This record gives sequence, structure tokens and C-alpha cells, in this order.
Amino acid sequence: MSLLTVSNLTKRYSRGGKTLAAVDDVSFHMEPGETLALAGPSGSGKSTIARLVLRLIEPDGGRIEFEGDDFLTLRGAPLRARRGRLQMVFQDPLAAFNPRATVARVLDDPLRIHGVASRSERPRRIAALLERVGLAADLAPRAIHEISGGQRQRVAIARAIATKPSLIVLDEAVSALDVSVRGQILSLLLDLQRQERIAYLFISHDLGVVRAVAHRVILLDAGQIAESGDARAVIDAPQSAIGKALVAAAPKLNRNRP
Amino acid sequence: MSRLRRFLRTPEALAGAILLAVLFAMALSASLLFPGDPQAIAGPALLPPFQNWSLPLGTDRLGRDVLVELFHGARTSLAVGLAAAATALVIGAVVGTLAGFAGGLVDEVLMRITDAFQTVPGFLLALAFVSVVGPSLGVVVVAIALGTWTGPARIARAEVLSIRERDYVAGARVIGMHPLEIAFREVLPNALPPVLAMSSVIVAAAILTEAALSFLGLGDPNRVTWGGMIAEGRTVLRTAPFLSIVPGIALLLTVLGVYLAGEGIVETTAVRRGLS
Ligand SMILES: Nc1ncnc2c1ncn2[C@@H]1O[C@H](COP(=O)(O)OP(=O)(O)O)[C@@H](O)[C@H]1O
Ligand SMILES: [Mg+2]
Repeated sequence: MSLLTVSNLTKRYSRGGKTLAAVDDVSFHMEPGETLALAGPSGSGKSTIARLVLRLIEPDGGRIEFEGDDFLTLRGAPLRARRGRLQMVFQDPLAAFNPRATVARVLDDPLRIHGVASRSERPRRIAALLERVGLAADLAPRAIHEISGGQRQRVAIARAIATKPSLIVLDEAVSALDVSVRGQILSLLLDLQRQERIAYLFISHDLGVVRAVAHRVILLDAGQIAESGDARAVIDAPQSAIGKALVAAAPKLNRNRP
Repeated sequence: MSRLRRFLRTPEALAGAILLAVLFAMALSASLLFPGDPQAIAGPALLPPFQNWSLPLGTDRLGRDVLVELFHGARTSLAVGLAAAATALVIGAVVGTLAGFAGGLVDEVLMRITDAFQTVPGFLLALAFVSVVGPSLGVVVVAIALGTWTGPARIARAEVLSIRERDYVAGARVIGMHPLEIAFREVLPNALPPVLAMSSVIVAAAILTEAALSFLGLGDPNRVTWGGMIAEGRTVLRTAPFLSIVPGIALLLTVLGVYLAGEGIVETTAVRRGLS
């Protein structure tokens, strides 16, 4: 059974009287524990797909099946309950948290909402989550805006794994980080995937990162799938025009090519 | 600490703070310094100020001590002004947050109600409400709030409309938080600063409205109010103008103090935000 099956997903926006298909008849599927990358130029519809899959916006057409259920028909309390299985990490870890929050509160919320742990047990769970993502447990009382960007993204990952999800959507989750921090976060993600069999829908415009972490890749262009397949195969020998253009524009990749 | 110092460095803010401090001191010390009924007869009627040092501000038409009335009136003015402003801010913040966050039909309905309240002048609304329900301190507070909550509601809504598009609201939905919890715990506290920035104007307006209601005889009859004192003095305006002038000046200084201090707070926090 597939973890996630997306069929004929379509989302249109009207802008200045014209309608624009941000996502145009997109279909793909994901297996448990795999990393599927969505790559493509800015404005190609990557974030829109992420938001549709997370039910943050509603599609104009298509189907989403998640863990065997018709995900688009869920609403209200059943949807909220299911959200624990499908998490997200945002690009800007500062914007992703309430500016008034502390690390502890950010991690307490999912544990409380999904009844993962009792109130008295939660501080211990929070400490364990922090350790799980390579942070010191005494970071808990700190305000979100006081800690570094890399620490913040680790907290975001801790929050995402708090409810033991089967799928995490990472929308440019490492793009805003320094190169050295980016490497650490990527290896943390790979480590978590190996141990917990979490699938990642990994959104990035950086083909170098995609090639390093993704099993399969989908190249998007103007809301449509231009090309898809094994990540290395596609990036090493792109067939589509947009694939060739993206590879040509990625300097690090050019150096690695034979 | 440095914020307090910066606040006190602006002369306007400092003047406002001093005026407010005096007002609070008067309100808080009223029943300590002048226990007993402030409306009791204390001496001969219509004694002018600065004649008798046991009655420094003189007496009114019935021989009541004007200084005692002034102190007790400060308490009413301040209590009603703060309570009415707080009520208006709470109603406004809640209505604005619900409207902005829910959107759609809820927003439409709430904003039409807000429009309806806003079309009627706040003072008429207060007047009508007190005339129907009857004058008491609580009723006066609600009456004033009825005419003032629409401003905070609009500002809160505008702020919420921008905040609800932020990533952290999406993040709260992703972890399955209930929409009401998102609205009131995640969004509302962050929408408050511009709403609170209005509070000095609202408190000042509430104090004036209370005085106007009392002036028209619609204040709580069991309390001394500055508006009531001015109304009392009006009947002897030619012979004893001080009876209206003294509470009038107190009212003026209070409104000025609230306004100046409020502006000072807004300015220092704005400066701070600009620097960080
Ligand atoms: N809320 C919206 N209203 C109007 N247009 C939108 C909205 N969200 C996205 N779009 C448009 O949809 C297209 C895809 O955007 P997005 O999914 O954010 O692209 P990407 O993440 O690949 O950069 C863009 O042309 C964008 O302008
Ligand atoms: Mg994007």
C-alpha cells in the first residue's frame, strides 16, 4: 500500500482576471520511508503542492489518498487527529513559530493536542525530543527568538517528529541555513528516516541537495510534472528542457559531472 | 529599565506620567484621607476656595466639601474610564479576532454588526443604554464600552488578517491545533500591540463620556463624579463659578495626562521596535 497517492491534483489562482494553474494535473505516489523530492524553478508550484497535501489549502480538483484514506474528505476533528501523521518543516524557522513561544511550548503543543503524553510526563518527553534532534534539554525554557537558526530548525524537526508521523513535508527546509548547518540538518534528517522510517516530501530548488538526499525526484515546471524518476538518474541526465536548464544553472553539479 | 528611562526623558510623557500619578494618588487615597460620606454636609454653603483652610477648595450649594468631592470623583472617573476602556478593548479584540480569523460569513456578519454600532454616535448609544437600563456604575461602564469597541475591533481584524497568513499559523494547523485555540492563543496576542496603542485615546474618551453622562444626570447617583459636580455648579455659575471650574480643570488635566502618557508609551515602544 502506498503511503501517499496524489492523483490529478489541480489548484488554480486568479490573478488580474486571468486564471493561473499553480498546480496542473499532478499525480505521484510515495512509499513509506522514502524521500521524494519536488524540484523546479521558483513559482513552479512546489509550495502549493505541499500546502495541498497538508490540507492548508483546498484543491480545485484531484484526489489525495494518505495511509489508505481519502484525505480530502476528512474535516474537523478527524482531520485534526490525523494531522499528527503528516507533518511539515518550513523554510524560515523563525517565521514558523509564534514569536512569543518558548522551545518548550512549541514542543508541548503537539504532545498535548494529540494526547501523546500526560501533562506530568511532557517535560520529560520534551527533553527527549530535544536530545533526539541533537539539542541540549536545557534549551527548553528559552524563547524561540533567542536561539540560533540551526537550533531553531532542529526544534522544528523535533516538533514534526513529536507525534510520530509517517510523512514529513520539508518545504525548502534547509535552504535558509548556512552550508555547514545545512549538512548537519540533512544528516539528522537521514538519521531519523533510517530509524523511524519516516517518508519525506523534500522540496528544494537545489539539485545538489536533492541528488544527495532523495530517492526519487519530480521536476516541476509551471505547475506540471516535466520529468520524474530516480534522483541521480534524472539529475545526471535530465531529459526535459527544464531539467537541463536547472542542471546547467547548478554550479556544483557541473563540476561533479564526468 | 532603559525603556522607562527613555519614556521619562520625553517631557510630554513625563508630564503625562506626573498627572496620572497625582490622579491615581487622589483616587487611591480618597477613602483614607476622607473616610465617610463624601456627600455629607461639611460647612456653610457656597464657601469660596482658599477662605477656610479646613475647607481649602470651599463648599458647594449644599455645603459639601469640594476637595473631598474632587478626590472621590477622581476615583469614579478613573474606575469608570479604565473599566470601560478595558471592556471595549476586550470586546473589540475578541470580535476583531473572530471576524479576521474565521473570514467568510462570520466575518461578514460581525463586521455588519460593527458597522451598525459605528454608525450610531457613541455618546447617543451610551445615553440610550443608560436611560433604558438605569444608571449604576456597571451600566455606565457597559454603556461607554458599547460605543467604543468598534475601533479596537477594526484594528484587531486588520492585524489578524495579516497574521493569519504567517507560517506559524499554518504550523499550528499542521500540528492539529483547534481553530479557536489558534485564534485566541496564537493570533490574538500578536495582534494586540496596535490595539493597545489605542488605549490611551479610549480611556480619555471614556472618562469624558462618563463626565458627560453624569453632567446630564445619568451617572450613578450614589457616587460623586466630576461631571455631576460640574452640573451641580452650573445652577450657581454666575455667583460661584469655581464649583464648575475646579472639577472642569481636574477633568481636563486627567484627559491630558492619560493622552500624553499613552502617547509616550506608544512612542517608546515604537522606537524600541524600530531599533531592534
Ligand atoms: N495565494 C496565492 N494567490 C495567488 N497566486 C498564488 C498563491 N500562492 C501561489 N500562487 C502562485 O502559484 C504559483 C506557484 O507558487 P508556489 O507553489 O509558491 O511556487 P514555488 O514554491 O515552486 O516557488 C506562482 O505563480 C504563485 O505566484
Ligand atoms: Mg516555495
